[in-house]
Amino acid sequence: MKTVLIIECLLLLLATPAHAMHISEGILPFGWAAVWFAVAAPFVAMGVRRMNDLSKDDLSVKPLVGLMAAVVFIISCMPIPVPSAGTCSHPCGTGISAILVGPFVSVVISAVALLIQALFLAHGGLSTLGANIVSMGVVGSCAGWLVFRGLRAMGANLAVAGFAAGIVADWGTYLATSAELTAGIRGSEPFWPLFSKIFVAFIPTQLPLGILEGAMTAGMVVLLHRKRPDLLVKMRVIPAGTGDRRPATGAVALLLAVFLGGLLLTPHLSRAAEKWSGVDETVVEKVAKEHGREAREPLINTDRGDLLLFVFLLAGATGGFAAGYWWRALVAEKRDRRGDDAG
Amino acid sequence: MHQIVNPIPNTHFLAGVDPRVKLVSALALLVLVMSSRGGAFPLTVAGLSLGLCLWMGVPPRLFFVRFAEPIFIAAMVIVLKLLFSGHEALFAFSCFGLEIVGHRDGLAAGVAIASRIAGAVSVVAAVGFATPFTDLMAALSWLRVPRGFIEVALFAWRYLFVLFDDAQVVYAAQKNRLGYAGLRRGLRSFGTLAGALVIKAFDNSQTVTTAMVQRGYDGTLPLLRHRPLRAGEVAGSVALVAVMGLLWRM
Repeated sequence: MKTVLIIECLLLLLATPAHAMHISEGILPFGWAAVWFAVAAPFVAMGVRRMNDLSKDDLSVKPLVGLMAAVVFIISCMPIPVPSAGTCSHPCGTGISAILVGPFVSVVISAVALLIQALFLAHGGLSTLGANIVSMGVVGSCAGWLVFRGLRAMGANLAVAGFAAGIVADWGTYLATSAELTAGIRGSEPFWPLFSKIFVAFIPTQLPLGILEGAMTAGMVVLLHRKRPDLLVKMRVIPAGTGDRRPATGAVALLLAVFLGGLLLTPHLSRAAEKWSGVDETVVEKVAKEHGREAREPLINTDRGDLLLFVFLLAGATGGFAAGYWWRALVAEKRDRRGDDAG
Repeated sequence: MHQIVNPIPNTHFLAGVDPRVKLVSALALLVLVMSSRGGAFPLTVAGLSLGLCLWMGVPPRLFFVRFAEPIFIAAMVIVLKLLFSGHEALFAFSCFGLEIVGHRDGLAAGVAIASRIAGAVSVVAAVGFATPFTDLMAALSWLRVPRGFIEVALFAWRYLFVLFDDAQVVYAAQKNRLGYAGLRRGLRSFGTLAGALVIKAFDNSQTVTTAMVQRGYDGTLPLLRHRPLRAGEVAGSVALVAVMGLLWRM
């Protein structure tokens, strides 16, 4: 840990522009790059499908999504100073796009912005496009959107909800990026120690940057509400004919405390997991052994290399695809039926 | 921005090559680079791609600007792997009472990743310099990337420069009024700038849709039509990938 702190101090001395949010071209081995593409693909497909559905009713949807992608591109190219790290970094902008157009279309926006950045600015990359879409598009957008909608439902005003959404979208992106980077470069090393080092190495830039992005997102939402409330109504961010709500500072503080607590506890929990064996070993295996049933090799041993991780990812991707494919059947059609019954 | 994304006139020898051939060759090289274990193959690809870019007339300064970020990240990866990965000690020194140890195998792994970054970035840079964006999108469409995605990318590309110019005007006006003097004012100004961009994007999308509908837009954009693939170009691409594949095996 002390060595990490020394490295951290050395990093602080490197006062250069930091574009650490995207994983650079070529940094992931082929297997991991393919896995992240597989994970990102269903989300992009769902986003395109959602956009096409919306576009049937309103022809301006595709141009709007394209222009929002250009805005996200420009925002994520703008350097903002991070005083504590002595560097410049950039916000990711997915928080605001998720708030305005929803998480799935925001994934498409992120994918387009990332593709242009990869091709023409060497920012991110083609081979790491899947991983960057997952971290910035999927995790950033979904986290930001959920926090914004959750806080609005709890009665928070636009500024507070926008601030929290911006912070969580940024930090969620950075957390996912750390995990992807660790998985890609760790080789035969264990996951958690390297993850915690990369996580700590990101902190000087990304911790204040998340707060700055939160402030920026809040500023944007408030400006839109003041100057063009019709936009927010059209995007279904606020219902028509209603004003802003009173702040729910306690709820925001609680949410942030839970999130920060989770971040701080993660390394300790992982260490605890190493120290304490699970219920399978301490209870099931013990009882089975007492009754003369020794443990034998499993038919399919998933404890080999990254196989278990890959299986989890595959299950997540399949589940995500299935949920997205039958989303309308699960949610929208039921809502329509309920509406018909009420009518 | 305009100089970075449109750096060279489209008169070089690769301009006439079908964008599908360029894209598929680049993707094949990318897969080879990413799946290589050592550093020699990616560095060979990087050298070839850099030579190709210089041959196309890409200014070296632009090249360094584009490589600044990947170089920084590659350096960070080398430092991380050197100090935190591996078992065989290369050097050790004491700093403020702390023992810092560099590992030989960690350094080798870090250099391998850094060379992979160099190779992959060079290949993508070469394709980016050699092919206009609209051609690349048409090639992606040929590769069955969803049409909705391609259309959004084309809209984004078309209005990127318009919005970027707008952003520059607003930024200059804010800066002249000391909008970025101090962190608090800077943040407020940045939020206003980003919000103004969203408003402009929304207004532009409405205007563009109206103009396009009057010209027959029905929700789908026409894409560039490809001419038939030339046998010579395809054979050249296959030969290039085959030679690189042989090098990769070595």
